[in-house]
Amino acid sequence: MINLNFVFPEIFISLSLMFLLMLGVFKKNSSVIIYNLSIISLIITLALILNRPIDKDIYLFMDAYKIDYLSNFMKILTVLSAILVMFASKKYIQSLNIFNIEYPVLLLSSIVGMMVMISSNDLIVFYMGLELQSLSLYVLASYNRDNLLSSESGVKYFVLSALSSGLLLYGCSLIYGFTGSTNFDFIMNNLNNNNYILSSGIVFVLVGLAFKISAVPFHMWAPDVYQGSPTSVTSFFAILPKIAALAVFIRFLYVPFIYVVDQWQTIIVFLSIASMLFGAIAAIGQKNLKRLVAYSSIGHMGYALAGLAVNSNEGIKSSVLYITIYVFMNLGFFCCLFMLKKNDKYYENIDDLSGISKNHPFLSFCFLIILFSLAGIPPLAGFFAKFYIFMAVIESSMYYLAIIGLISTVIAAFYYLRIIKIIYFDPEKIKYDKEHNIGLQFCLIISAIFILFYFTYPSWLNEIVSKISII
Amino acid sequence: MIIHSIFFYFFATIAIISAIMVTASKNTVHSVFFLILDFITISCLFIMIGAEFLGMIMLIVYVGAVAVLFLFVVMMLNVSQQKNTWFSSEKSSTHIPFGLLISLIIFIELIIVVGGWKFKPDLIQSYSSIGVNLNETNTHSIGNVLYTDYIHLFQLGGMILLVSMIGAIVLTFRTRVGVKRQSYIKQISREKDTAVELVNVESKKGVKIDV
Repeated sequence: MINLNFVFPEIFISLSLMFLLMLGVFKKNSSVIIYNLSIISLIITLALILNRPIDKDIYLFMDAYKIDYLSNFMKILTVLSAILVMFASKKYIQSLNIFNIEYPVLLLSSIVGMMVMISSNDLIVFYMGLELQSLSLYVLASYNRDNLLSSESGVKYFVLSALSSGLLLYGCSLIYGFTGSTNFDFIMNNLNNNNYILSSGIVFVLVGLAFKISAVPFHMWAPDVYQGSPTSVTSFFAILPKIAALAVFIRFLYVPFIYVVDQWQTIIVFLSIASMLFGAIAAIGQKNLKRLVAYSSIGHMGYALAGLAVNSNEGIKSSVLYITIYVFMNLGFFCCLFMLKKNDKYYENIDDLSGISKNHPFLSFCFLIILFSLAGIPPLAGFFAKFYIFMAVIESSMYYLAIIGLISTVIAAFYYLRIIKIIYFDPEKIKYDKEHNIGLQFCLIISAIFILFYFTYPSWLNEIVSKISII
Repeated sequence: MIIHSIFFYFFATIAIISAIMVTASKNTVHSVFFLILDFITISCLFIMIGAEFLGMIMLIVYVGAVAVLFLFVVMMLNVSQQKNTWFSSEKSSTHIPFGLLISLIIFIELIIVVGGWKFKPDLIQSYSSIGVNLNETNTHSIGNVLYTDYIHLFQLGGMILLVSMIGAIVLTFRTRVGVKRQSYIKQISREKDTAVELVNVESKKGVKIDV
């Protein structure tokens, strides 16, 4: 029996985006109203998700849609981070002259896609959600269409993403052909272990997914797209699709293919090792903060995948915890980027940070804790994220993964610490504007407090996460 | 039955002739029109074998969208000026063997597909687990699952189309400045004093009219 109560959040957000579109068509100059209304509708969506505590797994639409603790947690994380990103980036969008009615509508539609992806229990549903999400993101990447870099990033993202979608679909068709169904649970029960074409199907789907979270060797698009698209979109890119894709990764690996762990484990281990090392090494030479964040997010995805590679509940939990802390760290980083503003011009090079500690003690302190946390220095939240990952990896005695992770953490610490050195010890160059809008300050303070005080009471988040059990 | 075969041969002949004319006609716009004719006759053939949904989709998608898009491209780029010289010039001799080779490969593939279907009918039965009711029309059977079991996917597909429409508008629509638009209300409500001005023209100097 289909119970639509459980998809109220998705239905509400779709209806509200259509309503906002209509409002925008018939009311002139309504960009501000629509932006604020879309934030409010996201808050209502959050309330709708929180309103329905999950005590057992619920299957909808002929078992194609699954609502369980993991999906609820990931949806809450997605919507919450979307609200914070929208709060933080409002001023930036306004100053860039791209403050149209379509911007928040596209954001909302990509969030619908992500929510569908997170809950999907079927290859077709998952693919439709993925397409809805990425189609909105293509448009958003090239939203600042008069800017050459932005159009380039949009086209680049579109072409490469279409290629990866093609590979993913091919993998889906192989899996369907050799199991007779697209349903994850059905695939799990009808899996023939010794079928090599089926494992190539798994590989194709994993390639498509790895592209979405920009894991090495499918990361080439990330730096260009992150740099080219408007910073508000980059902050969206760096945070939200990763949450959704990680949720799909967990579902895809641990529901249909749980019995063929030996076939995919090496792939995930390779993706994880390559991403960690590449993210650490390639970021060293970067001059642009947005490119730097792209490489650092590649590295962070490597750690999150390391948690998935270990094939245990502990690993999944540590991965989910990692992505939660990653969301707040990146949010804080982008809030700091939005604050580097002078006379409606935004600065995004590392040199522009030179000596800002003299005039902006609060901003540079926030930068300090966020960068320390990204580097994984105790007692900040980023340390605990990595700590849980390594603990899960070592518990299942995959020592080499932990060792490589530690080495790349040390390498990555170099470029994070270099920025701190530039902020605090280099001569002063640019004086930025001091006053910022409340939403931006609010987001920065929230993420800074989360990072700074996570260690005082880590169990509240850990307890929430520890209820997730897939295996 | 004889009427059926008469209709079949009628449509099939038109389809083949128009397919040949797509490549053979000298004018590119004519080629596109032959392509449209080809699509229409093939959709008639689909309807004749009882695949009315496929035929109608063929009409809507290929004739309504794709072929019209081709036509627009051809007219916009003004390639109709460039005459098709495939069958007349010496250059065609290098292309034709290659084209024939590809056509041969496609033909062999078709024979394999149709032959496999003809000589191994149990293949189809063993793999089809979909309960098809042969007494219903195609549209009916598709609608039966599309609006019940797969309603969420149907709606999601609609959302994807909506997003692609918004995206196309966002990325291409520009509000141009200085475009003159006709507004009836403005025209009707114009008074004499705002519209007509009496100017004393000095001789040999003229008047300056600002627009």
